[in-house]
Amino acid sequence: MSDYQVVGKSVRRMDTIAKATGQVLYTADLSRPGMLFGKILYSNRAHARILNIDTRPAEALPGVRAVITGTQAPNSLYGIYIRDRLIFATDQVRFIGEPVAAVAATSQAAAAEATRLIRVDYEDLSPLFSLEEAIAPNAPILHPHLVEYGSIYPYIRYGNVCLDAQLNMGDIEQGFADADYIFEDSYHTAPTHQAPLEPHACLAEIDDNGRTVVSTGTQQISVLHTELALALDLPLTDIRVVPVCLGGGFGGRLGTHFEHICALLAQAAQRPVKIILTRAEVFTTTAGRAPYTIRMKVGVKKDGTITAKDTDVLVDAGAYADQTPGTATHAITVAQGPYSIPNCHARARVVYTNNPNWGCMRGYGAQEIAFATESIMDTVAHKLGMDPVDFRLVNLSHEGEISLSTQPLRCVTIRETMEAAIKASGYREKKGRMGPNRGIGVANLFHATGYLSSSATIRVNEDATITIISGVTEVGPGSQTVLRQIVAEVLGVAVECVRIAVVDSDSAPYETGSIASRTVYDAGNAVRLATEEVRKKMVNIAASRLKCTAEDIAVEGGWFFQFTNPDNRISFKDLIGIAIYVTGGPLLGSASWLAAGPFPEPVGEGYGQGPMGTFLFGTHVAEVEVDPETGKTRILHITACHDVGKAIYPAGVLGQIEGGVVQGIGAGLFEEMCLQDGRVVNPSFVDYRMLTALDTPPITALYIERPDPTGSFGAKGLGEPPIIPPAPAIANAIFDATGVQVNEIPITAERLFYALSLKKISPTAPATQANKTIRKSDHR
Amino acid sequence: MEKEITLQVNAKSFSVDVGSGELLVDVLRDKLGLTGTKKGCGTGDCGACTVLLDGKPVNSCLVLAVSVEGKQIETIESLGDTNHLHPLQQSFIDNGAIQCGYCSPGFLITAKALLDENPNPTEAEIRAAVAGNLCRCTGYATIIRAISAAASLTTEVKSE
Repeated sequence: MSDYQVVGKSVRRMDTIAKATGQVLYTADLSRPGMLFGKILYSNRAHARILNIDTRPAEALPGVRAVITGTQAPNSLYGIYIRDRLIFATDQVRFIGEPVAAVAATSQAAAAEATRLIRVDYEDLSPLFSLEEAIAPNAPILHPHLVEYGSIYPYIRYGNVCLDAQLNMGDIEQGFADADYIFEDSYHTAPTHQAPLEPHACLAEIDDNGRTVVSTGTQQISVLHTELALALDLPLTDIRVVPVCLGGGFGGRLGTHFEHICALLAQAAQRPVKIILTRAEVFTTTAGRAPYTIRMKVGVKKDGTITAKDTDVLVDAGAYADQTPGTATHAITVAQGPYSIPNCHARARVVYTNNPNWGCMRGYGAQEIAFATESIMDTVAHKLGMDPVDFRLVNLSHEGEISLSTQPLRCVTIRETMEAAIKASGYREKKGRMGPNRGIGVANLFHATGYLSSSATIRVNEDATITIISGVTEVGPGSQTVLRQIVAEVLGVAVECVRIAVVDSDSAPYETGSIASRTVYDAGNAVRLATEEVRKKMVNIAASRLKCTAEDIAVEGGWFFQFTNPDNRISFKDLIGIAIYVTGGPLLGSASWLAAGPFPEPVGEGYGQGPMGTFLFGTHVAEVEVDPETGKTRILHITACHDVGKAIYPAGVLGQIEGGVVQGIGAGLFEEMCLQDGRVVNPSFVDYRMLTALDTPPITALYIERPDPTGSFGAKGLGEPPIIPPAPAIANAIFDATGVQVNEIPITAERLFYALSLKKISPTAPATQANKTIRKSDHR
Repeated sequence: MEKEITLQVNAKSFSVDVGSGELLVDVLRDKLGLTGTKKGCGTGDCGACTVLLDGKPVNSCLVLAVSVEGKQIETIESLGDTNHLHPLQQSFIDNGAIQCGYCSPGFLITAKALLDENPNPTEAEIRAAVAGNLCRCTGYATIIRAISAAASLTTEVKSE
């Protein structure tokens, strides 16, 4: 693929100098004349009726300019999937960390003091902290109006279950009847937090036309805009969202969690208001990754062929649905894994509790499912006496087969990524020869992207530079650079000539945003199509000037020329002049994109996810050493191979893999939001353990390129994939090292020590409480 | 209670009124407009607010402004500007060590302190030096490579 001039080259990013010199402004760095500081008062009860809120002492404090509660906020329900909440709790609070009131004052100290002076009288209600309690028949109902709530899809909902969705392929009962053995187990994944280094911040102000202007770092301008309009009960034209440089996203800057409060304070005070959340507030109030409980059952033949797989996912939504319905439906979409399974069924239920309001994080639903799938694959291989790699190899998905979400799988590269990772890691040589307390484990990746809308406009400027008008924000990995490369390649110009416009919600066309591994694929396709449209216009002008047909025109190095007679040519710049002054008018191209494909056919209503544009594959190999005295796991090496379709910006690809693997190790070994009666008890970087530079092992990052014809220059997506396989690969390596499987992540030293101790006492005992003894099938 | 103090920041003198409990990071950012120093946690856990105090890296969110009168303070703004990048800044850019960029000023300042004291650090020494700085994007590999590359570059220049 060396035909490309710009695609496939690690070109220079435009944003790194300002970031390296400290000149770039993040939201907290913004200031306005007369600016006030906002502070939010959060509920300290998990479930309680609000009897009274007395704001008078706060209002009397010097420097306080506005105090607001639910009575001053619009009575308009909002929510991305299910419209189930108001900006402030009014009659009752449902989690510790739910906004109850807010203050704007002339200093941060005054705002903080004022929130402390607000007196809220609560009457405690019985809380629900566990999924079992919440789905029990007589459980208190947390949302009595659940079925009346608006939602983007007609989800099946009842009791405390806000979504109940199923996918089915083949005959699951027959599949288990055909099996020689059946294995069943339960898995649990802990709630985690995106924990971007930049604490969430927002600046809201009222402009000269009375519009509310919200400046903040976001992964999705358009969706934040829509959500704000819904929550504030204003038309979209009365709100302007201005994206500010974002200090990390990872799924944490979707929709709104406090920006609407900042807007209300600015409206109330008629002054600019800035809110910067404390790190503890970020951890407790901004919707981390939801905890999953997954029951999985696999039927196999003696030769290792899988005949059936059944998956039952229970998701703790916390107090409000937020992003959890999307993660749950995605989880069942990929529940079969990258394996060919004729009879497959998956069900997901999302359940309200009084735990914190959970959302989504990088690898939403897919990371959780992959932990279960890749763990049970090793369980089965072990019981069959097969090598885990060989067992996977006999069951891999094939090109063109229909997935559980009733879509044909295209560009299936799992065999290639497995072979590359196995070879690079030296798995075959190392397996069984790692030495005492050491082990090696494998995990595969099955994920999908290419969904939800994008649109873009390309403007060819008078001096032959190009401006991309797109709502894609730069979360960090270099997505905007990729868009510039796509445009430069299509128009045959240098990448330095292509810049991204500074946009806001007024100027950017609708863009779902930098989420769900979709930017390069979806936004990239919108940008490519818009560029192709403008190129077509230019080619037509060139053809008419050069007196040949459009098919005869080639574009290269800033020239449009007749393919058969390269001397018959016109420069890019002259052509723009002709367009502006002679024929056709200024050159613009616009395009909209939404991945096409057969729509999924779920079992009944309640699934709601559209077709996926492209499927993502990868394989990781983990090597570990376990200290049997303490249960501490040390990662010796990770080999990570991903199929990216086409690496448009190779430096970005490697950066994504290395960074994602480290987050994946965090999920596997350390990261957990610890809850006690609905309260996050470790809301700090000291107690929420992320990897430091001392904890990261050597990582071999590899990628393969099998171009997907539906992506720009064949590119798929890579935002989330690298975070997905590390946890199960590590768990499988620990299994190899110790003979103990731990079915709960993170596998902290305490959890592993406990599991190892149980094994010492009783070698046949299950490793964790959730772990049920594997049983032989009765069906034989 | 506010008191006027004189701070030596990036080789310039600033007279500024500060409260007794005011933190250096807030004075730098809010009163001197030096917003290159970032605040990631406010509790000394993430290193984003690292500045040099008489050449030593400190978390400026754990330092009272009134306690550093007379000391030399260096922030990211002193390292290099767009037209004169410090070798470390150039190396971070060239090695893909900057993604979202929020942790970058803290890492750069910590790395400068390391190279000032130890121009030829081993990888282990680099990792130990930046262990107090968190990065959520890169997984540290590119940052370690960038510091290592800047060190060899600086050493080469010196030995010429």
